[in-house]
Amino acid sequence: MNPGWMEGSPTPFSKVLVANRGEIAVRVLRAARESGLAGVALYSDSDESSLHVEVAEEAVHLEGDSLDQTYLNAEAIIEAARECGADAIHPGYGFLSERADFARAVESAGLVWIGPPAEAIETMGDKISARTLMIESGVPVIPGEEIAVEDGADHLGALATSAARVGYPLLLKASAGGGGKGMRAVSEPKSLRSEFEAAAREASAAFGDGTVYIERLLTKAKHVEIQILCDSHGGAVHLNERDCSLQRRFQKVIEEAPSPAINQMTREEMGAAAITAAKAVDYVGAGTVEFLLASNGQFFFLEMNTRIQVEHPVTEMTTGIDLVQKQFEVAAGLMLGLEQHEVRQSGHAIEARIYAEDPNGGFLPSTGTLAMWRPPSGPGIRVDSGNREGDEVTIDFDPMLAKLIVHAPTREAAIRRLDIALSDFVALGVRTNIDFLRNAISHRAFHEGIIDTDFLDETPWEELAGPLPDEAKLVAVTASARRLGLGTAHSGTGEAVDEHSGHPGDPFRTLRRAFP
Amino acid sequence: MEWSVSDDNSRYKVTLEEGEGEVRASSMTKDGSEIPPPRVVVSDAGKLGRLLVESDGNHGFAHVVRFGDEWWVHIDGRTHVLKFHEQGGSGSAASEGSLAAPMPGTILELMVKEGQRVREGQPLMVLEAMKMEHRILAPRAGEVTKVNYEQGDRVDMGSVLVEISE
Repeated sequence: MNPGWMEGSPTPFSKVLVANRGEIAVRVLRAARESGLAGVALYSDSDESSLHVEVAEEAVHLEGDSLDQTYLNAEAIIEAARECGADAIHPGYGFLSERADFARAVESAGLVWIGPPAEAIETMGDKISARTLMIESGVPVIPGEEIAVEDGADHLGALATSAARVGYPLLLKASAGGGGKGMRAVSEPKSLRSEFEAAAREASAAFGDGTVYIERLLTKAKHVEIQILCDSHGGAVHLNERDCSLQRRFQKVIEEAPSPAINQMTREEMGAAAITAAKAVDYVGAGTVEFLLASNGQFFFLEMNTRIQVEHPVTEMTTGIDLVQKQFEVAAGLMLGLEQHEVRQSGHAIEARIYAEDPNGGFLPSTGTLAMWRPPSGPGIRVDSGNREGDEVTIDFDPMLAKLIVHAPTREAAIRRLDIALSDFVALGVRTNIDFLRNAISHRAFHEGIIDTDFLDETPWEELAGPLPDEAKLVAVTASARRLGLGTAHSGTGEAVDEHSGHPGDPFRTLRRAFP
Repeated sequence: MEWSVSDDNSRYKVTLEEGEGEVRASSMTKDGSEIPPPRVVVSDAGKLGRLLVESDGNHGFAHVVRFGDEWWVHIDGRTHVLKFHEQGGSGSAASEGSLAAPMPGTILELMVKEGQRVREGQPLMVLEAMKMEHRILAPRAGEVTKVNYEQGDRVDMGSVLVEISE
């Protein structure tokens, strides 16, 4: 049964298979339920008891150990959809979301693809063809010269010549890269070879394609992107910008809307450029056009992400538009029913990405058990996560544990709300960046809205290290906790039944028992 | 019975005083010297893993979880890891000069061999985990006395990768 809102749809569907895992799978499955659609989750062996499987009415197991056999296995996923009678596939972000051949395969299997046309993914996915098309369409691109290098060929000579022409510092990017992977900054000629090799390796490990290209590295620039929505009838609107300048090694850390760095005129110009970019590839669905905003106020096309983005909630909070619901509507062939002047901008939203990583240990990914996991809640606070208490955090998947999004009337109030929400976020058992996020957003430069994409990488560590702990107090509290709760201690990584939770094999112990 | 906080080497000893479900520190030493005990009173807050902490008249919550000798504490909006040392004494000598894998992963590239002298901060190897490459840097200058793995090996967290002598 198709839900009522789908009436008149040329391509109706009623059961959505979500070809993803983690928080985005949870997010899409919940949206499906809200839209009156049935949802199907996928899971590999290690995800058998993950949250995204729990929230789905139905789940299909994918055999195999590697990603190629599971979440990247297009054939098995389409087969799974057929088997369970799903008539649409939502790819989430990452994994197969930007694989044109997957989009094609889904459609030729007679299923509805909840994403843009394969051709749009292809053109925008190849950074060189995207750049060429943007130049033709009159969308400003980053100045400089670039060269395409084929994987496997003897390219270093050509690369070095081209690099010298473009000038240092420069950016090596995998043509098929994204999310900070396969991207390396090169500050001087002598590190060109090693950085190139690392970028090529990362790109081929993550995307199965080792092509890399170079462009001029704009320093002191901000990352501002425009969310767009297009239907299959030529309707297109932009949903304003998101500022994602707070990054670490090209990985976004904090995203907010509106950007503290642009005015209404730039917003409209950028929005128009984004719509031009989308129309150049006959885009359909939700997408994001990323721009670099130079310190002189000029902006340049960076790339287009042809999928839902990690930071989409920031836009949902400020515009009141559910982007995943819109993706469903557009995939069903319906009109957007939304004019540009109807898009509102209410208050200020900020998203902080909670990663399993150790800021005091070089930001290396951390693993362990989320022994205690108490996300904050309250007015204007949203937490999107694929984790829950007791979950194991491994190195098999992306280290993002959750997204904490806050919404408040002003930027200042939003920063305050985020700081309090972060300080209330209890995550024990796995090292996270929560404290570091508090340090970053309390920095004067962030408050003033003057940070650029190099901020986190270039700010002296002392300014981001946070206050020194009151060790004596910590010792007193912890020793007291031990006295109150675990007086007769066993060694903690228990095979035995936990004496408090009573679960066999409980890998952690919770404090407190009936006392006194 | 001693405590230490995170990577700080200071060792604390504390004497506790107990009464009516409340615990407070009555005396404390830091690296053997007497320091004034912090004015905190800790009691059970009636929810799994949560404690009520009164500090200089202010009330707040602390959340505590234990993994073996590691105690994870969330208090005043920050997370800390404390170590409980049953035996006391200084850190184990075996770990000094050796470099343990900070996370599980695969060794992509080895940049040093045994017998080689390295300076502080020099890259020793590239470890891949979660599809990202991470450089393992020498914590200090010295001579590489042992390299325990080869390129392509998978290592667990805590595996000793390289040993460096003064």
